[in-house]
Amino acid sequence: MSITGSTVGTDKRGVRELGGEEKVGWDEVQQGVVLNSFDGTTEGAAFLKAEERNYADFNSYTATVASWRIIKPVYNRDICIDCQNCWVWCPDTSIISRDKQMLGIDYDHCKGCGVCVEVCPTNPKSLLMFSEATDNDEALAGWPVKEKKEK
Amino acid sequence: MAITSIKNLKEFSTNNDRFEGAHLLCPGCAHSMIVRELMNCTDDNLVISSNTGCLEVSTAVYPYTSWDTSWIHIGFENAATAVTGAEAMYKARKRKGTLKDPDAPVKFVAFGGDGSTYDIGFQWLSGAMERGHDFTYICLDNENYANTGGQRSSATPIGATTSTAQAGTHSYGKKEKKKDIVSIMAAHGSPYVAQLAPNKWKSMAKGFQKALETEGPCFINTVSACTTEWKFDPKDTIHITDLATDSLMFPIYEIIDGHELNILYRPKNIIKVEDYLGAQGRYKHLFKPENKHVIEQIQSDIDKKWDMLQRREEARI
Amino acid sequence: MAKEFDLNEVEVWDGNYAASQALRQAQIDVVAAYPITPSTPIVEGYGAYVANGYVDGEFVMVESEHAAMSGCVGAAAAGGRVATATSSQGFALMAEVLYQASGMRLPIVLTVVNRALASPLNVRGDHSDMYLGRDSGWIQLDAFNAQEAYDLPLCAFKIGENLDVRLPVMVHQDGFTTSHKAQNVYPLKDETAYNFVGDYVPVDEMLDFTRPVTHGAQTEEDWHYEHKAKQHKALMDSRPVIDEVFAQFKELTGREYKRVETYMMEDAEVALILLGSSVESAVLAAKQLREEEGIKAGIIAPRCFRPFPYDLVRDALDVPTLKAVSCMDKSAPGGAMGALFNEVSAAAYTTSSRPLISNYIYGLGGRDFAIDEAKRIMKEQKAHADAGHITTNIQQFSGLRGPKLGFYETRRS
Repeated sequence: MSITGSTVGTDKRGVRELGGEEKVGWDEVQQGVVLNSFDGTTEGAAFLKAEERNYADFNSYTATVASWRIIKPVYNRDICIDCQNCWVWCPDTSIISRDKQMLGIDYDHCKGCGVCVEVCPTNPKSLLMFSEATDNDEALAGWPVKEKKEK
Repeated sequence: MAITSIKNLKEFSTNNDRFEGAHLLCPGCAHSMIVRELMNCTDDNLVISSNTGCLEVSTAVYPYTSWDTSWIHIGFENAATAVTGAEAMYKARKRKGTLKDPDAPVKFVAFGGDGSTYDIGFQWLSGAMERGHDFTYICLDNENYANTGGQRSSATPIGATTSTAQAGTHSYGKKEKKKDIVSIMAAHGSPYVAQLAPNKWKSMAKGFQKALETEGPCFINTVSACTTEWKFDPKDTIHITDLATDSLMFPIYEIIDGHELNILYRPKNIIKVEDYLGAQGRYKHLFKPENKHVIEQIQSDIDKKWDMLQRREEARI
Repeated sequence: MAKEFDLNEVEVWDGNYAASQALRQAQIDVVAAYPITPSTPIVEGYGAYVANGYVDGEFVMVESEHAAMSGCVGAAAAGGRVATATSSQGFALMAEVLYQASGMRLPIVLTVVNRALASPLNVRGDHSDMYLGRDSGWIQLDAFNAQEAYDLPLCAFKIGENLDVRLPVMVHQDGFTTSHKAQNVYPLKDETAYNFVGDYVPVDEMLDFTRPVTHGAQTEEDWHYEHKAKQHKALMDSRPVIDEVFAQFKELTGREYKRVETYMMEDAEVALILLGSSVESAVLAAKQLREEEGIKAGIIAPRCFRPFPYDLVRDALDVPTLKAVSCMDKSAPGGAMGALFNEVSAAAYTTSSRPLISNYIYGLGGRDFAIDEAKRIMKEQKAHADAGHITTNIQQFSGLRGPKLGFYETRRS
């Protein structure tokens, strides 16, 4: 399991590798191949944050694609202006934003595409890509300083 | 309809995503940017259908679904029919009083790639539009059959190389021009048709909300930059889309009631299409001297189209 | 609220109109349809009910049969009663979605007016379309006349929507011979018919927003096989439910249906096995043979083509007196023995009587099949029985012009 970028989420998030689920027999598979998004009933996901939802095991939220990643984004809260560019363009629902604030990265679902870094407008950037093996604290310790505009 | 605030990104970001991670789309895929944005544009319940394609094979592979809303896939060609069948059922059950919650607001949305929209599902889409169902069809146009490894579709632009219209010693890639799906859909008399792009998130959100709010069949073509088949670095999805909209290869506009055309984005600096083509592997061969005429043709087609769009907008007819 | 339709105790209806009345009485939520000869009048009839206030549901006229079934699947997943009608080429165009409807366990009812498949194009009745559907995972019921074309759709909803079944059901009738032939039909009152069918019970419906569901997920090698096995079991296990629904229908109407109909089989020495509108001719022929020539002839007619009634066909064949049987296939066999022949033979192989079984192809493209021909074939079976082996080719063609056509000879002596 990769390091956790943010503590916001449920304990179900990213608990299984894709394909790692129990392979049940014909008598236990879902009738009609129907998959439920949540256990029980829900008042509507639009009104619930991820951590308030009762995700079913069938929800891909419970799976991880962390192993796809070779490089990862590291987030520097000190520079971030909460513009939410990274949130709107993240293809993997992996930017955790709550109440207009960027909280961190969902490393269970981030595939390391790097779009968030490219669209980050701060100087220096509040998100930078590092190799997967890099320790986040080390990455933060060596964060670049503001680039001066070339004259 | 419960539309969400798109005043600015901070407001927009307070929406709770209903499209989950650990789907199988490629890193940097624009499909999920577009799908997430659509789902964040409303708090209403959604019934979504998808044609077979990248989106479908990546978001509902047993035993996982990435959808927090009702969702259905049948085949490659029939997402428009599937979701309008569900819409008909909604109307019938509402009339008969058999819905669990008859007051729950709901929107019906179909997604298709360009292969399923421009080609194999064209008839099903046209039929659903003609029948006047209350739904929104969104084409995720990545200009090729990406799900099966990048074959040409009728949305592939002239000059692009794909595995079935390859560039080689005797070929510059696809010989035919891209089908104008937006005009075709507008010609159905649809109340709202648009071409939108995820880099312009606000105009896209506005267009999505207009389509969802408008009663009747609406159609939106979205440019979905394909890192795998267009051959660019996954981090550059938004950058490439910027080049697409700023070169006017993908003009952003809407057509209301089949005739009233509004341009939704006018680049401050229109860039040469070369800059857009040159950023992608699929057009690399066009920069050989013998293929330069293709780039000239693409630029000339863009110029003519932009001129036409501006005249149409001005004419207000 | 839908108007009640004023019906007489006995009506003169053709099979198409009978089917459309049954669909109306079931108060379907969504009919998505596309017209095709010879089933068009079902759709037209339904359209007239819609136009005149006899239907509360939606009537969606789509642009092709593929879209008709696609619309049905989308509608059924949204949790309501769904039906449509088709024939022949339209059935073939639907084929892709037929498999999806059954795999997704959506209890759609499809009334099929059987018609030949091109090429060459032909609008007349044979069973090519019915046979095309035989591996599609649907329950297939077969109506032999207009009354049954009315009765069986009512049963079909009740069977398919049963929570232990949840499978789509086709109700077949023969093009023109049944669909366009006016006969006496005894309909139920609207309320009685609806109460028999019952209210639709939604399962995993897309319109229950408190429980979002994903329909139509993909399964690869880790999961596909288990899902298909489960689906097959549901189809096999629908047999007692079909029997039970038929029993309830008998209680209501006095009209009795069985998954395999048998006529005069108790002491039969020879028999024909066949489907559809030919069954009534064959029964008459068997009666005449018994009266005129003392040949103990019987008829076996699978009412349920899928799930194939291996159990009841075997019971029907396990008659000690039975010596020779011909299986009549009304579909171009495409380089094989007829499908009915193959399936009946497989069932017969595990009986103790093991009658001689031969195969006739007949009636293709609407070629007439008359009582005299049925008698001739049964007399031929008698000759097989007397000789103790099949004296002709195993596969032959009935009512075909030109030199005699046949394939394979027996190795039993």
